Amino acid sequence: MFDLERGWNLSFCGCGFLGVYHVGVSSCLQERAPRLITQANKIYGASAGALNAAALVCGCSLAQCCSDVLGVAKEARKRNLGPLHPSFNLVKILKKGLYRNLPENAHELASGKLCISLTRVSDGENVLVSEFNSKEELIQALICSAFVPIYCGLIPPSFRGVRYVDGGISNNLPEYDLKNTITVSPFSGESDICPRDSNSTNFHELRVTNTSIQFSLGNLYRLTRALFPPEPTVLGEMCQQGYNDALRFLKDNNLLSLPSPAADLCLAFPKATPLSHHLTCDCCVKSKREEEDLKRKVLEGPTPWSLDKRIMERLPPSLCYVLQEACREKNGLYHQISSLLPMRVASYMVMPYTLPVESVVSVALRLVDWFPDMPEDMRWMQEQVRSVAGAVYSQAKKRLLPSVRSSGHGTLRKCLSLPPHLHRASSYLSPNNFSSAMDLEGWVFDFSCPSLLRDHQDPNDPQLELDSDAQPKCIFSLEDSGVDVNFSTDPEDSASEL
Amino acid sequence: MAENSDMVSSYSERGLIGALRAAVWSFVYVPGGQPERESGWLPSWLPAWCPTSIPHLEEAEEKMLKSITRIYSKEHIVISDGNRVWTLSFKQTLSNKTPLVLLHGFGGGVGLWVLNFENICRDRTVYALDILGFGRSSRPHFEGDAEKAEEQFVQSIEEWRNTLGLEKMILLGHNLGAFLASAYSLKYPSRVKSIILVEPWGFPDRPGNADEGRPIPIWIKAVGAMLSPFNPLAGLRLAGPLGLSLVQRLRPDFKKKYSSMFDDDTVTEYIYHCNAQSPSGETAFRNMTVPYGWAQRPMLQRIDKMHPDIPITVIYGARSCIDGNSGSTIQSLRPNSYVKTIAIRGAGHYVFADQPEEFNQKVTEICDSVD
Repeated sequence: MFDLERGWNLSFCGCGFLGVYHVGVSSCLQERAPRLITQANKIYGASAGALNAAALVCGCSLAQCCSDVLGVAKEARKRNLGPLHPSFNLVKILKKGLYRNLPENAHELASGKLCISLTRVSDGENVLVSEFNSKEELIQALICSAFVPIYCGLIPPSFRGVRYVDGGISNNLPEYDLKNTITVSPFSGESDICPRDSNSTNFHELRVTNTSIQFSLGNLYRLTRALFPPEPTVLGEMCQQGYNDALRFLKDNNLLSLPSPAADLCLAFPKATPLSHHLTCDCCVKSKREEEDLKRKVLEGPTPWSLDKRIMERLPPSLCYVLQEACREKNGLYHQISSLLPMRVASYMVMPYTLPVESVVSVALRLVDWFPDMPEDMRWMQEQVRSVAGAVYSQAKKRLLPSVRSSGHGTLRKCLSLPPHLHRASSYLSPNNFSSAMDLEGWVFDFSCPSLLRDHQDPNDPQLELDSDAQPKCIFSLEDSGVDVNFSTDPEDSASEL
Repeated sequence: MAENSDMVSSYSERGLIGALRAAVWSFVYVPGGQPERESGWLPSWLPAWCPTSIPHLEEAEEKMLKSITRIYSKEHIVISDGNRVWTLSFKQTLSNKTPLVLLHGFGGGVGLWVLNFENICRDRTVYALDILGFGRSSRPHFEGDAEKAEEQFVQSIEEWRNTLGLEKMILLGHNLGAFLASAYSLKYPSRVKSIILVEPWGFPDRPGNADEGRPIPIWIKAVGAMLSPFNPLAGLRLAGPLGLSLVQRLRPDFKKKYSSMFDDDTVTEYIYHCNAQSPSGETAFRNMTVPYGWAQRPMLQRIDKMHPDIPITVIYGARSCIDGNSGSTIQSLRPNSYVKTIAIRGAGHYVFADQPEEFNQKVTEICDSVD
């Protein structure tokens, strides 16, 4: 059924904290069909999917990833306002985790294979990045892809000097339309690996930037939990679900019987292949005995959550252990006391007093963190403000003073419909420099001022018509940067006059 | 929106509330399809709310069918009760092969097969019809009872066949169409040579232990309970002037599916105008379901009574959320009959639009195996 001859891709959709589902899927693929990962043409990902894809490509320990996700979720749940509390700094946590977990040569492993979906701030277009020059660059791309605006912060991070935000805003499931892409999504719908809601067989669905989401109560619940994480037990179940769904996919497509050369190699020469076989699951690097120990530990340990033991056994022991650890930690004395109803009510009651203090502290902390990036961010904000003001001003001018412009410089307006400074436009808007494209509006606004125009160019200059080879270039770069709003208004204007 | 409120304010207060209630009610929930009866001044007001009409639908369909290069005819086939069934016929007069009849799915119409006509009508007569209550067919009042509604659908297909004078046919149904194709074959087995079920709806039973795993929070269940009395596409009509952009927003995939043929919003417009009309088939469909989306009279309970000589082929999209196990279940229920399941990779629920080449090829193969 699944054609392995022609190559395949993996695509993980963005889904916030539900990313733990991806971890479950990945661990199943690593354990049962590692070839699907090691020999895939490309591994795509947006947001949480990109983080998981990076972990897969760089051969990070999935158990570590899982425990990190659960750790962040717990951190987010600790406060009364959840992840919206000012002292919860997701970007910082992510950055720290990525620096810790990714290997030093991560960019080499990831280049050409990992493909991260980003949304460019200047025009909202989707960008797929797959070449990285350093580990820092890779991490920055991952941060950009996971940056949900407002939720994560106000100033979008930059990657190679261009501002990007969450890839899920423009393309949440890259290359889903290719026949040979294995799509993974924690929302039940039309993906290759996704949960099947047993109580709904609704064929109505909606598409959120390429992610198919079936109309079902289960999905409604998942959507509410994507940014506001549920308890670790629920996350653990999602991880489990991911493992099971992936297993079902492998069974349906007869991929289970695949030989797993990578795993064999790894078991045979655990030390001789330090980096090239990072791609295999850490549980196969461990000796069999260790695994048995872990399994016993897992099964003997008290199970504070309601998961079926039978199902639990199917998860790789290391992953299972991490899940149990995460769920167990909560049972301390402090937690028991603080989870009592009166305590919780009290903590909400004092919030109006504690929140300002905490906010001030966390804002101060953030300011300290911000210092290195401050000049650049300020420059970017200045640009934004200028471009917005420029757009507003030119619009206002056009609306309020139409008579002055049309009566005074009727002939000049005609030449405006053909942009007068073509070579200038193309050099200004070189495709590599997208951030400056934001300035285009201000630029157009400057040059649409007739008096300026007269200084620069004679309206009857024949060169204007002859300059045909520069024109397509200019139009190309304009479209490329996506800022065509103001430009198109001018020809319209002149058309209406004629 | 502002225009609407202006219009509303010109009417008297009492009439306004009553009319509004009737309007909303008739659009979202039609227990017995009363809109024709208690209309009043409403019909003149409603089009302003939903920018749709029969001419709109005709225009949208024309745009859809414009790219067909084959010669075909389109007409309304009149059946009993003055109902009319909109039919596209691709006649191959030289061929004496069994004609293929296409039944679209819920909320669809003949236009959705536009990627498939070209290939499957090469040497075989193909008919595509708008199921009664959908598309450009009449939108009569259906019985509230699931069994009677189903009977009405089946009867309309039989009358349609009778009018056209078809001796035998190969039935291909998608979604609801697949359900009706099976229901029809159960009742009129002598008229059916073979059935092709594409992404069939309404086959499995609703699982008894629906709440396995973690129970869903109560407030989410409450939302579900609140929405269940409404027609599935009520939101589309409620949105009124925003309906079209709602379809474009929520289902941008349709545009992509048909992008090889249209690079504008032809498909979404067609789908919108098919479904923004007064709901008739849609209401019948709702009456035939139990939450959430299960059939009240599942086909798997009856499929074993199907005439054993009728071969059944089930075509699935590998990515679809409709469970692909029905094929094997049908096989186990009809041990002595031909049942085949085909899964098409890279395709979702709309298999024929997601992977048209592969779909057309499979359908041609199946039809050629009949005669």
